[in-house]
Amino acid sequence: MYEYIVEMKNITKRFPGIVANDNITIQIKKGEIYAILGENGAGKSTLMSILFGMYEPDEGEIWIRGERVKILSPNHAAKLNIGMVHQHFKLVHNYTVTENIILGVEPIKKLGGLIPYVDIDDANKRVAELSKRYGLQVDPRQKIENMTVSLQQRVEILKMLYREAEILIFDEPTALLTPQETDYLLDIIEELRRGGKTIILISHKLEEIKRVADRCAILRKGKLIEVLDVKETSTKTMANLMVGREVSLDIDKKPAQFGHVVLEVEDLRVKNQDKVEVVKGVSFKVHSGEIFAIAGVAGNGQVEIADAIAGLTDISGGTIKLNGVDISKYSIRERTIEGISYIPEDRQSYGLILDFTLAENLALKDYYKEPFCQKGFLNKEVIDEYGKKLIEKYDIRSSLGVDTQVRQMSGGNQQKAIVAREIELDSPLMIFVQPTRGLDIGAIENIRKMIIEERDKGKAILLVSLELDEIMSIADTIAIIYNGEIQKVSPAEELTTKEVGEYMMGVTA
Amino acid sequence: MREKSVGKRKENVLAKFFLKSIGNERWQHITIPIFLIFLSFFAASIIILALGKNPLGAFYNLLQGVGILPKPSYAAYKSMLTDFLSLLNYMTPMVFASLAVSIALKGGLFNIGVSGQMLLAGFIASITVGYSSLSRIVAKPLVLAIGIIAGGILGGLIGFLKYKFNINEVVSSIMFNYIIQYVLSFFIHSYYIDPVSRQSKYIADTARLTLVNVEMFGLKMDISIGFVIAIILAIALKVFFHKSRLGFEIKAVGANPKGAKYAGINVGRTMILTMVLSGVFSGLAGVTYYLGYFASIQPKVLPSVGFDAIAVALLGNTNPYGIIGASFIISIIDRGSTYMSSMAGVRKEIASVITGMILLFTACTAYIQHKIRDNKDKLSYMARKEAEE
Repeated sequence: MYEYIVEMKNITKRFPGIVANDNITIQIKKGEIYAILGENGAGKSTLMSILFGMYEPDEGEIWIRGERVKILSPNHAAKLNIGMVHQHFKLVHNYTVTENIILGVEPIKKLGGLIPYVDIDDANKRVAELSKRYGLQVDPRQKIENMTVSLQQRVEILKMLYREAEILIFDEPTALLTPQETDYLLDIIEELRRGGKTIILISHKLEEIKRVADRCAILRKGKLIEVLDVKETSTKTMANLMVGREVSLDIDKKPAQFGHVVLEVEDLRVKNQDKVEVVKGVSFKVHSGEIFAIAGVAGNGQVEIADAIAGLTDISGGTIKLNGVDISKYSIRERTIEGISYIPEDRQSYGLILDFTLAENLALKDYYKEPFCQKGFLNKEVIDEYGKKLIEKYDIRSSLGVDTQVRQMSGGNQQKAIVAREIELDSPLMIFVQPTRGLDIGAIENIRKMIIEERDKGKAILLVSLELDEIMSIADTIAIIYNGEIQKVSPAEELTTKEVGEYMMGVTA
Repeated sequence: MREKSVGKRKENVLAKFFLKSIGNERWQHITIPIFLIFLSFFAASIIILALGKNPLGAFYNLLQGVGILPKPSYAAYKSMLTDFLSLLNYMTPMVFASLAVSIALKGGLFNIGVSGQMLLAGFIASITVGYSSLSRIVAKPLVLAIGIIAGGILGGLIGFLKYKFNINEVVSSIMFNYIIQYVLSFFIHSYYIDPVSRQSKYIADTARLTLVNVEMFGLKMDISIGFVIAIILAIALKVFFHKSRLGFEIKAVGANPKGAKYAGINVGRTMILTMVLSGVFSGLAGVTYYLGYFASIQPKVLPSVGFDAIAVALLGNTNPYGIIGASFIISIIDRGSTYMSSMAGVRKEIASVITGMILLFTACTAYIQHKIRDNKDKLSYMARKEAEE
């Protein structure tokens, strides 16, 4: 008999220029929910990738069920009943749920004892059973492309269960979910534990760890800081241990000093690709020195508003005025020059060019200007110099500095790079869409502070966020959008969280 | 038991040797193609051995045929130098065509219509300048200019169709290939045919981009003007992609069109420009092929160089210098094969087999890189285990 189902002893993993895991030892009991907490780039994902066979540790041992093992590949990990739900799902979009799940382990039957075929009906049945047992509510015959992120994640969970995984690793599972979906996922995780599974939860969100986890290992800069009993520890203590200093999200901000109108949107209409109107005649004004937040449940048109103002989407009606100039016919670059900074929702496909270096990405909106570009030729020294300055100023961490390929950087640092670039544009209007999504508490604190600093400098800030507490803590004015229409615009102090929540669901008083 | 461990050790040594030679990721963009070429020759050796011939002798003949190694005897006015110059002459269109493919690839586009663009440029230059009586000082630059313009316009048109109507560039360029091939063949048959050779009539030597039978040092040489231009443009292209603003924009659109759009780059315009530039190089390939290496056009045939160029561009890692190297090697095999077959009695087609294998192995580059990484991990693990024991 063994005491721990998973033991990772003295694990060290080095990457060029960085020690991702420095002599880490963790021991996990069967049937517990074990959280691994740490900032972006603390080494959580690396540690779990080692357990899942994607990396090999430079030093250290892995013991599974009391036996020393060497995990060579994810397939090997699966044989040891280890499963993992990655941050970015690995699903084939035009396949159905079941087809995705059985991929690689197809149940083969022989027609007339001769011709092999995949017994999809049987697989469908098994998937449906599993889905029912753990309350996942997944239809095995549905195609992935028609499913929400949250449902896709449940397919990933089913995939592990179908392969009889006993040890389930979740890599930041709630990063892309709405609050309701997060709740639901945490219920599922608890259900899985009741079903006898051992769960490892990688996260930097304290509330969810507090809610479900039994024990929690805290990593910081590749080192194991402490292993805590979650029930007996306050979230505050956990946060401080994780960041290594006192942190607080209760930002004290000075009362707003509104100036002139910077952005004026009138009767804005936007149609999506299917020619359906998703923004239906929206009007609002943002002043200098104001943080104007658009609150709403995902998919109610708020991202389209931001895209339309930045010029990424064509508008079907209305006007957009920046400092009194109608910019609705301007190109994206003309708008940038006129004075718009934009932090887009999808940082990997819009905000960055992942194959380019960090320096190139930091200069992505300036590269064509003097002194970066002279007579049609780019000056690499100037671009690198500028990159170094921003890396220093915004504490962007990467292994090779300005020459790092952005693809190799952690999500949090990628976001920092975008924020750094956009703030440095020094535009009178700054649009932030989900600026803190997927970031750890230290980084969230920093970015929120930066937003307020910019406001105090007299910038007009348009904030689109799905996180209500973010909006409540930093917005000066809140507009609530539902189904493409603004339900209510009001100074932040006149609204309670509950009221905003009601407007978000379309329950108008 | 002991034997087994010795066997393992040996395997280890072999693996170590491979990792030493091609394991360093910083140099893999050079070492892997070289490794692949060796691998292809190795595989070809087996075939030649199976045919009962001496592979080393055959490869030796291959190099003799292109003027890298001396032949035992030469015809009048010929020497190693003339052979080598013919090799460069042969290689020139391939360099241009491969550069054309690589430009499109950098911009995220696949120009499979290089052949059609070559043919169009070659045809227009032939009928306008090739059959005229312009003096050489006027004719040669004019041929180049027509190649550039014709290729650029056709390339640009493909880019425009993609931008305006979202027509996939692969589909439209294949269609253009057919249209050009048959329409031009109609014109050649109707107006420009040479009844003896069944090809278009020979163009005037004044318009040719290869100086033929130049007498110097008691030799008669074919000197390719296009080759010099190809080398200069390859270097210029390297600088263009490395340093210029437009090069940066093309790479950005190629790497992530959404991100490029967000950054304020005019994606449609950049795509069209990419195809124009790619077409310009195709056009240059066309004129150096039909008005340089050859002096006439064979109707109803697309130049295979335009397709080989795709593989050469990949073998050269879409890097201009790499492309020059890759074109050089492929050209040696193509060109040297005649001499090889006459001397070693190995059929000419073996050369195509070698080329084919190089290109086939090139397609496996990613797999080889993966294997290397895999073995590296395994070896380091074994080394650690040995140390522990």
